[in-house]
Amino acid sequence: MTRKMVFVDTSKCTGCKACDVACKEWNELPAEKTHLITSYQTQKDFTPKTWTYMTFIEKYENQKMNFLMRKAQCFHCAEAACLKACSSNAISKTDSGYVVIDHDKCIGCGYCEENCPFGVPKADQANKKYYKCTGCIERVENNLKPACVHTCQPGALEFGERVVLLGQAKKRLTEVQKTNPKAQIYGEKEMGGTTFLYLLLDRPEVYGLPANPTIPLSLTLWKDVIQPVGGIAVGGAGAAVAVGVLANLLRGNYRSSEDDSNNHANS
Amino acid sequence: MDVSRRGFLKLSGLSIAAFATGLGFDPAVAEAKGYALKLEGSKKFPSICHFCAGGCGMLLYVKEGKLIHLEGDSDHPTNEGTLCPKGSSLLSVAYSPDRVTKPRRRAPGADHWEDISWEEALDRVAKKTKEVRDASWKVADEVVNAKTGVTETFPVNRTEGIAFLGSAEVDNEESYLISKFCRVIGTPYNEHQARI
Repeated sequence: MTRKMVFVDTSKCTGCKACDVACKEWNELPAEKTHLITSYQTQKDFTPKTWTYMTFIEKYENQKMNFLMRKAQCFHCAEAACLKACSSNAISKTDSGYVVIDHDKCIGCGYCEENCPFGVPKADQANKKYYKCTGCIERVENNLKPACVHTCQPGALEFGERVVLLGQAKKRLTEVQKTNPKAQIYGEKEMGGTTFLYLLLDRPEVYGLPANPTIPLSLTLWKDVIQPVGGIAVGGAGAAVAVGVLANLLRGNYRSSEDDSNNHANS
Repeated sequence: MDVSRRGFLKLSGLSIAAFATGLGFDPAVAEAKGYALKLEGSKKFPSICHFCAGGCGMLLYVKEGKLIHLEGDSDHPTNEGTLCPKGSSLLSVAYSPDRVTKPRRRAPGADHWEDISWEEALDRVAKKTKEVRDASWKVADEVVNAKTGVTETFPVNRTEGIAFLGSAEVDNEESYLISKFCRVIGTPYNEHQARI
């Protein structure tokens, strides 16, 4: 399957939260008690039962309010930090570009949440496993659109081949930039290119997104330097011991025979 | 059996070797995984969303007598597959523990609701409607003629004790039936929630 993409055009979003509800409905997630945080935002962060939510930002500029809305969910990065950090190989990536957690393998170590630049995976305290947006992988694999995309009424969410949609996104950007000069595409190069690509009306920082999301240096050092070197070192040491033991066996238990004779002599 | 120093070394050597090979091989070989759709084996029913007068098309997926999924009907001209947050949440309305599925009655002055049968409910509504209609029936009304200043009497034949209140959840067809019923029963008061 070719790489897929969901284009989130925040210039078309009305903040109705239908994506939120459709996600809960398809994934059979229970509703949670919500309260107003800022503006019309009712969800502060991801939870193991809320995989997508709307963020609302009221930005005042020249006595004019800009109402910035964004659907937040897992970005499904091409170079996913969670996948790299996962200590039990529970996280995998599909050909279509989705990053999925296998809950049979997840041991709840929490490295994914710690290393994700967007803090997406969240632990269910009841079973100590991490949950996040699956990108409706089972729908996508069966030629259906993700639930959030299917339900979006203003057409702010679009699903398709990455190559095709990226072109469309850029075309839309030139259109939007006429009225919002700060508009930009977020996710084309970030984290190796994300599956959920945004058209933001302002700088990413305004939306509370990192301007340059990266895999944490500590993780790169640990996984690409220390662990392989450590593996080689441990492997080398192990091999040396194994060779020693084998050599010992092949050469015959010269020392033991000596010991035996000594023992016999003594007794 | 005593473990001699040599035996211990052999064992630890072997276990380290095993551990090292474990590290050497990468078990992250992507396992081809089939993703089964939960809709498999379910029956699809086209329906209309009852939430507002818009009348969006919905597809209901029923499996073993239970509604398992609901989404916008892509072939419906109104919504082309999309649904608003209220429409998409209708599945939880269907199986909500708070949903009232039987007629209930709260007697005047009572502090609780009691379950009654449909028969009983319809009988009671019919009886009360007749009672109120008869009591508040107006055959003729007097209107002052603006030009001559003389009071004239016109036949009106209406009931003034009954009013109908529509709602934004009422769709076109229901509105037609409600307005028709208002004419039949003889009340001119047919109002809408949005005008209150």
